[in-house]
Amino acid sequence: MMGKIILDKMAMQRALTRITYEIVEKNKGVEDLVLIGIKTRGIFLANRIADRLQQLENVTIPVGELDITNYRDDIEHDSMSIDVKMSNNKIDFSIEGKRVILVDDVLYTGRTVRAALSAVMDLGRPKSINLAVLVDRGHRELPIRADFVGKNIPSSQKEKIKVYVSEIDDKDAVELIK
Amino acid sequence: MTQRYLILADGSAYPGKAFGSLATTTGELVANSTMNGYQEIISNQIYHNQIIVFTQSSIGNTGLDQNAYESVLPSAKGVIVREYENLATDHFKRISLDRYLKQHRIPGIYDVDTREIRHRLQKYGNMMASIVDVADDHAFDQLHATVLTNQQVAQVATPKPYPNPDEGDNVVVVDFGLKSGILRELSRRNCNVTVVPWNSTSEMILDLDPDGIVLSTGPGAPSNLPESVLKMITEIQSQAPLFAIGLGHELFALANQAKVSKLRVEHHGANHPIREIITNEIFFSGQEQGYAVDPKSIDHAKLFITHVDLVNGTVQGLRHRDFPAFSVQFSPDGAPGPKDSVDLFDDFMEIMERRRDENGSRY
Amino acid sequence: MAVDINKVLLLGGGPTSIGHENELDAAAYERLIALKKTGAQIIYVDDNPFSVTSEEVQPANVYVQQVNFKNVVNIIEKEHPDAIMATTGGLNAMQIAWQLSESGVLTSNNINLLGIKPADLRKVIDNEKLRDLLTEINERVIASRIVADDTEAMDFVREVGFPVIVKPISASHDTSRFICNNTDELEDALDVSFKRAYIKRCSIEQSIVGYKEIEMVGIRDANGNKLLISGLEDMDPIGIHSGDSIIFAPTQTLINEEYQALRTATFRIMDSLNVTGTCHVQFAQSRTDSNYFVTKVSPFFTRNTLLAAKATGYPLTYVASFLELGYGFTEIKLPAKYSKYTPFMEPTMDHVLVRIPLWPFRDINDVDQHLNTLMKSVGSTIGVGRTVEEAIIKSMHSSQFSPRDILPSVSKVDDDDVINQLIHPLASRILILMEALRRGFSIDELSELTRIDRFYFYKLNQLLRAQDFVINHPLSPQSVQVGHKYGFGDGMLAELWNVNIAQITRMNQNVNHQVTYKEIEPSAGEFLEATNIFYSSYELENESKPFAEKTALVIGRGGNQLGPNSAADYYTAQILISLKKVGYKTLIMNTNPNVVSLTPQLSDKQYIEPIQLGNILNIINLDRPDVIFLPGNRHYLSKQLKQFADLNIIVLPPDQKVAHYKRHSATTAVDLFIQGKEIIPVTSLSFFNHHNRNDLHHLNDYQEPMIDWQKDESLIMQQAIKTTNPSEWQGLVQVLFNKTNSGDYICTGIRPVRITETAFLTKTTGINWINVLVKKYLGILDMASLREQLKPIAHKRYSIMTAHFPFKQLQSNRKEGTTRQEVGAALSFENFIN
Repeated sequence: MMGKIILDKMAMQRALTRITYEIVEKNKGVEDLVLIGIKTRGIFLANRIADRLQQLENVTIPVGELDITNYRDDIEHDSMSIDVKMSNNKIDFSIEGKRVILVDDVLYTGRTVRAALSAVMDLGRPKSINLAVLVDRGHRELPIRADFVGKNIPSSQKEKIKVYVSEIDDKDAVELIK
Repeated sequence: MTQRYLILADGSAYPGKAFGSLATTTGELVANSTMNGYQEIISNQIYHNQIIVFTQSSIGNTGLDQNAYESVLPSAKGVIVREYENLATDHFKRISLDRYLKQHRIPGIYDVDTREIRHRLQKYGNMMASIVDVADDHAFDQLHATVLTNQQVAQVATPKPYPNPDEGDNVVVVDFGLKSGILRELSRRNCNVTVVPWNSTSEMILDLDPDGIVLSTGPGAPSNLPESVLKMITEIQSQAPLFAIGLGHELFALANQAKVSKLRVEHHGANHPIREIITNEIFFSGQEQGYAVDPKSIDHAKLFITHVDLVNGTVQGLRHRDFPAFSVQFSPDGAPGPKDSVDLFDDFMEIMERRRDENGSRY
Repeated sequence: MAVDINKVLLLGGGPTSIGHENELDAAAYERLIALKKTGAQIIYVDDNPFSVTSEEVQPANVYVQQVNFKNVVNIIEKEHPDAIMATTGGLNAMQIAWQLSESGVLTSNNINLLGIKPADLRKVIDNEKLRDLLTEINERVIASRIVADDTEAMDFVREVGFPVIVKPISASHDTSRFICNNTDELEDALDVSFKRAYIKRCSIEQSIVGYKEIEMVGIRDANGNKLLISGLEDMDPIGIHSGDSIIFAPTQTLINEEYQALRTATFRIMDSLNVTGTCHVQFAQSRTDSNYFVTKVSPFFTRNTLLAAKATGYPLTYVASFLELGYGFTEIKLPAKYSKYTPFMEPTMDHVLVRIPLWPFRDINDVDQHLNTLMKSVGSTIGVGRTVEEAIIKSMHSSQFSPRDILPSVSKVDDDDVINQLIHPLASRILILMEALRRGFSIDELSELTRIDRFYFYKLNQLLRAQDFVINHPLSPQSVQVGHKYGFGDGMLAELWNVNIAQITRMNQNVNHQVTYKEIEPSAGEFLEATNIFYSSYELENESKPFAEKTALVIGRGGNQLGPNSAADYYTAQILISLKKVGYKTLIMNTNPNVVSLTPQLSDKQYIEPIQLGNILNIINLDRPDVIFLPGNRHYLSKQLKQFADLNIIVLPPDQKVAHYKRHSATTAVDLFIQGKEIIPVTSLSFFNHHNRNDLHHLNDYQEPMIDWQKDESLIMQQAIKTTNPSEWQGLVQVLFNKTNSGDYICTGIRPVRITETAFLTKTTGINWINVLVKKYLGILDMASLREQLKPIAHKRYSIMTAHFPFKQLQSNRKEGTTRQEVGAALSFENFIN
């Protein structure tokens, strides 16, 4: 198992910076913008994007935390109530009429994002939902596409993509593990 | 050793020893405090109309490197240094500084108190100067009477388009007096480059079907260029990713209704910290700057300020709010100067890549 | 954001030795001044008796103990500091910091290690980990492998190519290494090495002998912002220890592309280690392509970290102290004399600095004197100039060759020897290079033999041509100009032409060719900063302005050789401190980059100028000092200066030549202080002699008070007072005694108290004797208060001084040493046994 660094700290920072500019560009500003990070690393990435927007526009963009464990389609969850499903989330703002940016580290099959979309829909009716990911590694199983991509990393299904964030991993990097 | 003089518009005269060409020239005197890369500095077209004072005390130590020219035909008006060494030290560096300056008719003077000159420029601001054989009244009269051309870009930029083929992204570089470092960085990223003249129209540029467009560095005031250049920029910036550097950055700002003014003291060096606003990080880069975008003139509905110089407060980078178009005042190619921000070229590549992905709608 | 720290333990650098002089103490001193601004309480541990820092810390917070793991743990348990600063304590302190972390002491006591996190420190301490780290960030390290047979060795060579170095892996201290350039040499080397090896294994590594050695010093804040202080270029190639190499700042022979690659690599390394503060990275740079290897990473203060700061005028230690505390570059406030932008501007130089090492071979001549990978120098001098030649000459004639102003030559060496010494350099390296040029060796040939860049030979050649011109055109104004441009001081010209220096001065005045002083500051003239650090050149603008207040010039000693030099530096620093306290503006002149006395906070103006008559007179002529202090025993210089009757010169301590004693007899001494006709006893000492040589030059170890003090001290003090005549002796005086077999003390001599012992007395008696002496000679000594402090003499413990000798480091078999061979000393205390 050898990890090869695909994005180092600098490249990762640059990718987040570019995504931030693109978010402003596409949304024609930051009005009604909210960020929702998908647990675990998506949350840190969402916070970093929010920090950048703060620096750039001097506005505080709300950041929510989404735990989609109970929404995965590979988990038996029909019997759960919405309250139970939502219990691990931290979204203390209304998404009604907002432009939601979902943030995750890796986009792969699309199942996580699908689950996140369901969860967001359960929360309310946003004006729009966009998806930002640090890495898009291909192999989609659902018709889902990211609006903001840090880096496309074509990979085989045997390989693993590991994202490290310094908040919990002691370094910033994206590694391809063969 | 022939004695010659550097004379300044304020009446001062500095006797020194001649090297390089023995021509008499007049230009604007600017001090450059970069410690490495005299070859890159002298060959940068940005010094058209200018006499360069090196604050580093000796140049010429390493001879000239075949891979480090910033232009084929340098256009600096003179070189002033405390000490110069006429070496062509090893197999790779066969040409000495003296020979190079003679070839290109650039006069040099050494053995003058460059630190005193630096202090003088800091105190009194930009100044005209001449390199002459005799520092008499006639020489000063000539100096005061000289009017430098404002057609600098036309004199140094390519009059015809030319390709620099490769297999990667299709990049059009608009040449305002291009430094080779830009082409070097694009080549390193396998870009298929076409360099086009400064007065190309947006149609000509867009007809080349670019993945991205670079507005190059160049000499002189951006206001010397006609309105048509600004029109070209407004037309292309919405059509393809745009990266503007140096003079290109100043023009990009003007095209988006910002104002540009001349600095009291030009700044040429690599010692000022540049802050990237979005990350709050500081880095260093070669800066060769005579003009600056006025931050107050920027329409924030159109442009972000992305970078600022922490010493003189000047705008060092801009980005359009609606298009993937960005610009920097400094030289991220690091020729010469730190390579701290060379990844701006990677940014440009990624922006082009994203653009293509979107157009190709890849799932 | 800054870390909240109330109490910080600062680890000292310990006694001076080969590889470190007083530079760590100088850094600690500056650090202390920075830390005081934060209001933190500072605990300091060091056993260097010549530490200026330890005197600046509250006495209750100083631990005069050896800086080792055990002592530091004890101090931690007693003091409970919040943080430890180890980066100004050298490698020893860093290793202790690592031990503290590994043993869990840091965690269990909740102590913050400043500068580098323990996990990152481990990567630097452990070579294998460093190698892994560098490989991970794509930096090249020298390939090496352990091989068990010829096939494995050949596999390795096929990967990395020749040349390679083969070393047997052996339990004994076998340092043999074989450089192999081809298969035949490799087979021979393997053959020999396998035979010598303890188990049949050899280490084989890529050889980089002959590469350029380039050093980079950078700093980084907790936010990841970085700036490069300076690059340094070793003139000598890899194969000669950087400490024994002639060093240039800025780098001279790198093109921009190469320089920037090393700068970027330095930053990448600092990032990967999360350094907050300084980092010194050494590189081997290929001469034929742009490849380089990382050879050493030191995320702490080293000799050359501080040299880089000296070269640029950047307040490195001060800034780095705040960085270690967690401040960002933009949050650091410097003293008002600096531009407010200085902390975060990358230094740029408009001058050249050259450092030339000094070796101890005159005093220790039975060792291998060849310059190789083992460091042998004990000191160095720097020269600063606007041209490379000027800087070379200034550092040279500040160095060991002669106290006189002559460009030395080695014309007596025969041709074979010249070639031999070109390939196997000795301490006289630079002279041999010049001699070879004189004899017509071509520059290409010389560069090939020595692996020194052609550039340096061009420069040395220019110097020789300048010298010839000056010699052949005596007393011509043009000669003076050429001489000055290339760094030949007026004193040197006077010697070359065999005339009085006053004649040269008159010539200068006649052609209006005046010395000017340029400031060493980090912006190359962009800002008008007042670092007040100057060097001379002959140009238009003079930046050094005399003070309106009363001014004192202190003449430093220049480069350290063996002997009591770090003590002399301590002495010099204390003179500066004393003068400042009594209201003088102080000027210091020195060329030793590793001294405390050049610390910017200790004086109002610093001149990096050769300690030579011409240069001294130029400064006197400009600054018109009211008084000139000449610390240390410098007969030649004090004689030269005393020709000028209008100068008010104070030599401290008074010239040892006045001493009279019998060489081979002293076991005990009494120190007295004499002011006018009043004699006050200070204390008593016993000399130790571990080697049974009762020779004063061998008496380096002593204790205070004397053995049997309870019984004999007052007796011999009376005896000492009786034998001393105040009309002959003033100040601190030492009366020597020998104890006879019958128990009587016989007076055997009298001498001024030596520099080392003055420092010792200051630590043991709690009275700053240098301050007392300065006041005495300025005529402002308050005797009543001194009497008060000295009375009664109450001894509480034994203070013991132990000299350190460099014999082991130099691989000499000698054991006993004379005072001339000391490299440093340690101080310790012992309680009385009841």
